[in-house]
Amino acid sequence: MSEVLHRDEARERAPRSGLHRIRLVRPRVWAWAVAVVLLLAFPFYLDRFWLEAGLFAMAAAIGAIGINLLTGATGQLSMGHAFFLAVGAYGYCVLAADGGDGLTGLGLPTWLAAVLAVLVAGLAGGLFSPISGRLSGAYLGIATLALVFIGQHIMFNAHDLTGGANGRDVPPLSLFGLTFDDREIDVAAVPFGSAEKLWYAGLVLLAACALFARGVLRGRPGRAMNAIRDHRIAAGVLGVPVARHRAAVFVLSSMYAGLAGVLLALVFQRTVPDYFGITLSLDYLAMIVIGGLGSVSGAVAGAAFVSLLPQVLTRYSDTLPLVSAPGTDGIAPGEAARYLYGAAVVLVVLFLPGGLTGAVVRRRARTRSARTHPGEER
Amino acid sequence: MNRTNRANRMNRVNRASRVNGALAARAAAGVLAAALVLAGCSSKAKDDGDKAAAGGMKTGEGISGKTITLGALTDMSGVYATLGKSVTQAQQLYVKQLNAAGGVCGYKVELTIRDHGYDPQKAVSGYTELEPNVLGFVQFIGSPFVAAVKKRIDGQDKDLVLPQAWSATLLGSPYIRVIGSTYDLETINAVDFLMREKGLKKGDRIGHVYFEGDYGENALVGSEHMAKEAGLTVVQQKIKATDNDMTAQVAALKKAGVKAIVLSAGPRQAASLVGVAAASGFNVPIIGNNSAFAPQLLATEAGPALMKNYYVASPSLPIGADTPEAKKLVADYKAAYPKDSLDNGIVAGWTAASAFGEALKKACASKDLTREGVDKALLSIDSFDMGFGTTQDFSDPAAASSRESVILKPDKNVTGGMKVVRQAGASKAAQEYTPAS
Repeated sequence: MSEVLHRDEARERAPRSGLHRIRLVRPRVWAWAVAVVLLLAFPFYLDRFWLEAGLFAMAAAIGAIGINLLTGATGQLSMGHAFFLAVGAYGYCVLAADGGDGLTGLGLPTWLAAVLAVLVAGLAGGLFSPISGRLSGAYLGIATLALVFIGQHIMFNAHDLTGGANGRDVPPLSLFGLTFDDREIDVAAVPFGSAEKLWYAGLVLLAACALFARGVLRGRPGRAMNAIRDHRIAAGVLGVPVARHRAAVFVLSSMYAGLAGVLLALVFQRTVPDYFGITLSLDYLAMIVIGGLGSVSGAVAGAAFVSLLPQVLTRYSDTLPLVSAPGTDGIAPGEAARYLYGAAVVLVVLFLPGGLTGAVVRRRARTRSARTHPGEER
Repeated sequence: MNRTNRANRMNRVNRASRVNGALAARAAAGVLAAALVLAGCSSKAKDDGDKAAAGGMKTGEGISGKTITLGALTDMSGVYATLGKSVTQAQQLYVKQLNAAGGVCGYKVELTIRDHGYDPQKAVSGYTELEPNVLGFVQFIGSPFVAAVKKRIDGQDKDLVLPQAWSATLLGSPYIRVIGSTYDLETINAVDFLMREKGLKKGDRIGHVYFEGDYGENALVGSEHMAKEAGLTVVQQKIKATDNDMTAQVAALKKAGVKAIVLSAGPRQAASLVGVAAASGFNVPIIGNNSAFAPQLLATEAGPALMKNYYVASPSLPIGADTPEAKKLVADYKAAYPKDSLDNGIVAGWTAASAFGEALKKACASKDLTREGVDKALLSIDSFDMGFGTTQDFSDPAAASSRESVILKPDKNVTGGMKVVRQAGASKAAQEYTPAS
């Protein structure tokens, strides 16, 4: 730990003492290393509550990367993200369950079911492509809004598939003989339940999803997507097949949502239709706006912010100022959490255009330009 | 230190970032190894020692020193906010009085309350947060969320949970105990009332307007069962919780020629259904489940119609009942929360808290305040009367704790806005009914 402090000091001193560029790169690498170590060590120290909160954030991050590819990078507004999450979550249940609870279940190996559920979500996105390829912006937003309502209607009523209002149990994932359920395994004397085990699965999935999306965004498809967002006609003139790209990115975004749905279902251990409502779709839009449109890191930062903030506020509601104990006059903890969440969203949008990561990038760019042109104002 | 040396060496190494990355990875591996060793000292690491038994009392989770902590997962900012507030305040009142009277054999009881706002994610994480620190839950609003953590409750937690929901789908677990009659039984009793006292007879059609989801569907099971037993035909009208205007439903039921209507929805739907039916001269008796009424409705335009033609089936006497217990509760509640209205959520919360309190007292008497001890104590309670008309029998986890319902009628001159028209009782059909699951 002392080394970390040392590095941080070095970072602070660097610009003033005019050290070379490399000194500035290194702290970043170190920060990454520390972050990775911390993330890997968390299950050994944190309570199940925090691990679960972290897992919700990871699942949200995967979903947010997906919608950021669509909305942030390609400029296609989607209000139907919750629908595709639901397809992933319920798809996994239907494919993996053995039908022991009287509901439809195909009894596939769970890892295969997880992969297929993501593909099913992609397929659902593909079926929507005649619409998603043609419509743009707000029009697509309204069209996808319908998906959420249709989806919830099905979830409440297709009892054999979804279990109705009370949802259905999620079979635990098994991979290479390791089952991600609540049977405890002791690792270094720490009992590992489902949250601890899933933590690592979540990290791996998130890292893979983030790297893949980064690859897409930095390569030819990413440039084509940005071109479509910035000027559709110009992109068409340049030879970008606009409709095909729109449809393809919609499918990709649906698959990300499907994977997020599978991970969420595994964390919840039960899929409940109430969850996949319109507010969930709006939350995802809030995530990418807060985090920063069009980038992977923005999606991850926004997802962490949006899904952790209410949890933290509710958890510490007792100790927050101005919040009264339930049953007395004043603001109830739950309400206070919402006010603060709303205020945070407004503040970010007002003062950090470009979102949380946008602010970081701008600051970095400013210091860099100051370094290269020492005379310029900072 | 070896690592410091390596870090120093790193400073001198060529500045290509690839080299940097490799070194960082090596350093990370080193730190990770150290972290794994340190994990042994984590507070999460298992310690095998049992909790010392103080004074021969066996204790476990949720008890520290002389305090018993109970959890309450409520909804004070979501769709069930009014119910959640009444239930929670009644339970806080119960706990306050219990502690003032000396607590549970010397132990003080404390409530930890989390407001989930009817959000599945917050509800599940609220449970996860509180579970390790509480003995059980006196309140858990939202049967989908109870179902979501059911596997954990039955599997490893084994803590007593009293949901504020009356769906028969929650029955069967020895740890999740529904208090009072479930919606299917309540609906059977309601239809029985219509047949006995409101002239509904064999061969008639009966309308059933119900919410999609757990509550409405469970109530529908009851009316379908009763229809089969008594030779009625049910005309179904499924609605969503967001449907507030019942004009279409009234028109459809009028056209179908129903002789009575059962309503398994919320207070708003009750006001609309009864009001629209009265306005269009469709004067059939309408009976609702206990959630389909709120005293505030009597101040609306639908008030007179409600007082004329509307009945409510309830698992217990209303808050304004004429028993000493009810009168005392009303007086105490008014003193503690002078600004809040009196409704049946208070009775529900109070009943649940006193059932839990009773179980705690019994568990304490047999010197076992562990979760297992409390579960066992509740199973041994087979005739518990809190002064609200019905006796509760908790000895069979597969059955509802009571098969009785009280039939109420809105009346604005009574405390809580409801008066009793038929005392607690279980119809023959309700007594013979076994929920199919």
